[in-house]
Amino acid sequence: MAPKHVLDGYRVLDFTQYLAGPAATNLMVQMGAEVIKLEIGPHGEPVRNFPYCRGGRSGYFIQQNRGKKSVCLDPKHPEGLAIIRRLLKHCDVFIENFAPGVIARLGLGWEEVHQINPNLIMCSISAFGQEGPLASHPGFDYIAQAYAAVSDLIGEPDRAPSMPMLAFGDVGTGVHALTAVGYALLDRERNGAGGQWLDISLLDSYFHYHEVSVQAYSASGGRITPQRSGSHHYAVGPTGIFKAKEGHLMILALLHQWPILCRAMDREDLIDDPRFHDNDARMTHREAMIGVIEDWLQSLSSDAAALAILEQARIPCAPILSVPEAMAHPHLIERRTVRTIEDRLLGTFQIPGMPLRFSKYEVDENIQAPLLGEHNAEVLKQLLLCPAEQVSDWERRRVLYAKPV
Amino acid sequence: MQPQHILEGYRVLDFTQFLAGPTTTRLMAEMGAEVIKVELAPAGDPTHLLPHRRAGRSGYYIQQNRGKKSICVDIRNPKGLALIKELVKSCDVLLENFSPGAIGRLGLGWEVVHALNPELIMCSVSAFGQTGPLSKLPGFDYIAMAVSGVMDMIGDPDQPPYFPMLGIGDVSAGVHALAAINAALLYRYKTGRGQYIDISLLDSYFHSHEINVQAYSGSKGKIQPKRSGHHHYAAAPLGLFRCRDGYLFMVVMARQWGPLCKAMGRDDLADNPNYDTNLKRVERRAEIVAIIEDWLRDYDRDDALRILEDMHVPVAPVLSVPEAMEHPHLLEREVVRTVYDRGYGALQIPGIPLRFSEFPEPLDLQAPYLGEHNREVMTTLAGVTAEEVAVLESGGVLHAEALPQGVDTVASA
Repeated sequence: MAPKHVLDGYRVLDFTQYLAGPAATNLMVQMGAEVIKLEIGPHGEPVRNFPYCRGGRSGYFIQQNRGKKSVCLDPKHPEGLAIIRRLLKHCDVFIENFAPGVIARLGLGWEEVHQINPNLIMCSISAFGQEGPLASHPGFDYIAQAYAAVSDLIGEPDRAPSMPMLAFGDVGTGVHALTAVGYALLDRERNGAGGQWLDISLLDSYFHYHEVSVQAYSASGGRITPQRSGSHHYAVGPTGIFKAKEGHLMILALLHQWPILCRAMDREDLIDDPRFHDNDARMTHREAMIGVIEDWLQSLSSDAAALAILEQARIPCAPILSVPEAMAHPHLIERRTVRTIEDRLLGTFQIPGMPLRFSKYEVDENIQAPLLGEHNAEVLKQLLLCPAEQVSDWERRRVLYAKPV
Repeated sequence: MQPQHILEGYRVLDFTQFLAGPTTTRLMAEMGAEVIKVELAPAGDPTHLLPHRRAGRSGYYIQQNRGKKSICVDIRNPKGLALIKELVKSCDVLLENFSPGAIGRLGLGWEVVHALNPELIMCSVSAFGQTGPLSKLPGFDYIAMAVSGVMDMIGDPDQPPYFPMLGIGDVSAGVHALAAINAALLYRYKTGRGQYIDISLLDSYFHSHEINVQAYSGSKGKIQPKRSGHHHYAAAPLGLFRCRDGYLFMVVMARQWGPLCKAMGRDDLADNPNYDTNLKRVERRAEIVAIIEDWLRDYDRDDALRILEDMHVPVAPVLSVPEAMEHPHLLEREVVRTVYDRGYGALQIPGIPLRFSEFPEPLDLQAPYLGEHNREVMTTLAGVTAEEVAVLESGGVLHAEALPQGVDTVASA
């Protein structure tokens, strides 16, 4: 039988909440893995109440949890813990994002689960990693962002840094976790390695983004000091956000593109202008350079006219789209970078698309986010051969929880 | 025999330059794959020229290309193209990040390489993806960031937006590509089938919208995502707070409001009905920020940090890059690590963010000199003799920079 997608046949026990962990398992589901989401009774995953909510359903929850099966239980109840331990024997991957130490105190630390299932890949996701001075600190995306010296690089130099209104650290950490889990699986299949434990953190992931700052500061002996510089880059240019006739445009003309930009602006006289002839000169005369470009933008009839000229010259440029504008852009719609889904209860709405595109497979759009404990009976019957009466008994005794439809 | 690392035995033909693609193959090299970096003759990857440079070596290039082999080839020359096609046959993965269409015009499109090697996994990384109205436009990180609606979410509402002074989108797209290649390798291991993967910066950036897209759509526009400077628009207190000598970032959810009030010696605020829900705190955000910053005015950043940490309030100092590089936690975990380049010397770069219990030690890797591995790769994989390599190099089909005196080539495995 042909597999339905690349991870068909893999089963994941997903003990994650909020965003970073669920982002990893969200991608696994979309690649065909079976993901069993363990939720803690009685309320389950906290984001089941995150906005936007309608009809008792959270769009936030749905976006991250489509296609997963929900088993809701009390892990502190001995029978609840026993159920988890039995499930682990049937899974390939166990993933969790509690604060470091918590999972071991629950009786599900690496040594225990490795003993239960020697082939199991366990992945722990945390803000700062499993050990080190900060390990036990509570952390969220922005906290790790500040420690990773990313926040410090956003905003005006003489004012407080600015914070991005989205959690790219959590999502990025989820993608890092996904790759580590996948390569550990490959190691297991191909090299006959058993299970192993993966330690993924927001701090590592954020710090991993520093492509210039760390090496340049280190190698220059501190002469190059990375700093936030508002709407224009501190080291290369023109690279920045320019005021145009109607709104703002991002324009990026590196090295060899300066003469091309000058010709596009009909200002060939600037190509060899000593203020602008190379990157160093342009950085020294940054204000003048920005002025020249913004004057040109103001002289045009519209932002669209500016974009057309720059695109014709193949100067990298873009309008700075708002979220609603991006969602309405024909390119994002055609590629389903923004896609429309339908939840059984919340109805139709839009979420980001699947960022991993495989030639052999279409993304299955017909998947649903689970109701709390929706798959208690199914999962326990299939994997642990528990009869329905046993499941109802557990639900009555608050070992398992399920929210009636 | 125990493999040195997970990807030992896999060979990657790497046409990528700049940042997004090299990130993917760098991580593959760190996991033990053999990465053959194809650099376009004569100059190679443009990042050889990026700062900081010393002894003819770029720290930027070293960071992204450690552990790779460099061959430098004129692929527009039919002889060069023929060599590459020979290599395609013995590789497992081909990665490229030219503008969409360019690899096809070079004669190495998916149909061609798939026919040469049906098990090959090919991955293209681009700004906007291989299809769609924007696909043909040139793009870099910030260009895709602007189109994704991400840039618009950074900065003060009444000012132009900001962009972060680091290549988050490039590195992130590289990690997305790494994840997709991994899944395709697993699939190939079971089925023997190769496939093509299309990764874009725009997709990767847009994928990061955890709230904005669904909230705008689900609320039918009632929730308008907007940048809001130093403080979150939907939760409070959540943002940056000024201390005497710097800034703290705090994330105060329902459970932490009481402890924060206690930390400030303002137990009276904990149960104040003006502030007892997130919604009320958002509405009175200005008041709350003023109260907190009034309190912080008498404290240095690190002193206030300790008080808040003791109360288990999620808090962080906003560290500069130099401060982060000296922080004991980052040093202990080698989030920042020191590597030694043969020509450049010691250099600090970010650590490997994927930590495997089976492979705790990083591999000993060097960034190549341009064309350093022409001879090794061509003689072992393309059936070319050492003499023929010399002829190809003098004819400009292959190119190699001379190794500086005292620098030895990396012994091949």
